[in-house]
Amino acid sequence: MPTHTPSFPDLLFDDAARLRRWETQLMNHLDGAGYRELHPSLVMRNPVNPSTVRFFDGDELVALRWDFTEALARTLVRRFQEPPRRISYAGPVFRRPANSWDPVERLEVGCEHIQADPDQRTEADRELARLLMAVPALLGLEGCLLHIGHAALLRRPMEAEGIPAELGQEVARVLDRRAIHRAAELLDGHPARARLLAHAEILLSGPDGPGSLADLARGPYGALLETEAEQLGRVLSALSAQLPQGLTLRLDLGDLRGLGYYSGPTLRLWAPGAQRELASGGRYDGLYPEMGRPWFAAGFCVRLTTLLELGDNHEGDK
Amino acid sequence: MKPLLIALPKGRLEDELLPRLKGSAFELDPRALKSRKLRIPMADPSLAAILLKGADLPRYVAGGVAALGVVGSDILDECPVDLMELSDLNFGVCRLSLCAPERTTLDMLRRKPHLRIATKFIGATGRWLGQEGLTAELVPLQSSVELAPVLGLADAIVDLVQSGRTLLAHHLVELTTLGKASARLVACRGTFLSEPDRIGPLAKTLAGLLKAAPSQ
Repeated sequence: MPTHTPSFPDLLFDDAARLRRWETQLMNHLDGAGYRELHPSLVMRNPVNPSTVRFFDGDELVALRWDFTEALARTLVRRFQEPPRRISYAGPVFRRPANSWDPVERLEVGCEHIQADPDQRTEADRELARLLMAVPALLGLEGCLLHIGHAALLRRPMEAEGIPAELGQEVARVLDRRAIHRAAELLDGHPARARLLAHAEILLSGPDGPGSLADLARGPYGALLETEAEQLGRVLSALSAQLPQGLTLRLDLGDLRGLGYYSGPTLRLWAPGAQRELASGGRYDGLYPEMGRPWFAAGFCVRLTTLLELGDNHEGDK
Repeated sequence: MKPLLIALPKGRLEDELLPRLKGSAFELDPRALKSRKLRIPMADPSLAAILLKGADLPRYVAGGVAALGVVGSDILDECPVDLMELSDLNFGVCRLSLCAPERTTLDMLRRKPHLRIATKFIGATGRWLGQEGLTAELVPLQSSVELAPVLGLADAIVDLVQSGRTLLAHHLVELTTLGKASARLVACRGTFLSEPDRIGPLAKTLAGLLKAAPSQ
């Protein structure tokens, strides 16, 4: 019997075989769409995030790779003048989880689509969504849900109302837990409190499809968020037309996780019975400009650790 | 299909909660309740309740064992787990207060070179000390915290105060309020997001029921 949470799980024969099979299937899927594998080092320098697994290499503080997107971005800006457009990756990342019992070492397969031309963004987002929509069938999963959200739906109203960054992060954190009553406490005394709470009610009214967009348009920030709502509507109708059997598409305006990082449409894939999302991703146009490159990017990663847990749970039900 | 589990708290919130479920799909089987079983069938056979100590409840919900749960916000604030906090149910309302023996003032505590505070609420107390620019030795206790200043284990306590009768009995007074606590409806993030058609309406019905005053 293990006496400690397996933060760094060992995979025995069957799990190792399943992992290898899924990794191969997903990498072949991405390869078939023109994504080429890049394998950044497992060790990253300048770890500022306290949730990383850090250690000293001589006098230098380093960390195990905590995120593929950032590891790849660091490599690309160092090694390329023009970005390779389609990149895939597979391997572990190490990050302290929100729940103490979740593993620190997590296995992922994913891809990034990088654009130098902003006009290519919409097509890139759709390409990524189509690739992700094919993942459940590849892995033999039925009854999955793909949630589509947009990171600007809360950020832009808070910016327009002059909410300080720190308060904004705290409001986003509690709304990510659907705790609108906590947001009400945080915004107490702010002149925009009533407007922002009315907006939050709309965002959190539940993932229930195109009706949410009509509510958004009628809400206090309908005019401000017209572009984002139109963008979401177009994405939703384009993807609905190509939806594989057994997958449900939902608009989730309350998807506020990673708000400080994502800048546009977001994607989250859920399998019934999974305690964590099976895959997540979205548009993150801020990362490369921060590193000195005028590039735009989006991507997603499939969390194979979640898939392994899901297999365990299903087997336990039998 | 297995019944969907709802985690309900034993103790402080239980007495206020159970009458609100009477006559609804969530009503607990009275015979099972008397038998002291921890897994209690509900009126709707697709549902069952598990009765848990408040401190254990968030783990059962966050871990996906129970899809929904009711727990005090004081417990949630001490537990760094990832779950959805869907509603403030507005019952079981009480204050989280700094209390000390009669004739003690906040200034007297501030001037102490080595302040000792006994509490079950280490996180909330630590955050309050940080806001106040104070340092103190925190004495972690799980029950009968009021005894600590009476018997000299601590100079003060941080604890939940509802009517104030327990404080009065131990000759303690409230010096300041750190926050408010009340019952909250929580949900497992994974279940809530991966089965919205099943969990969403159920959560809405349960929240409505629990927010309403109990029928007499």
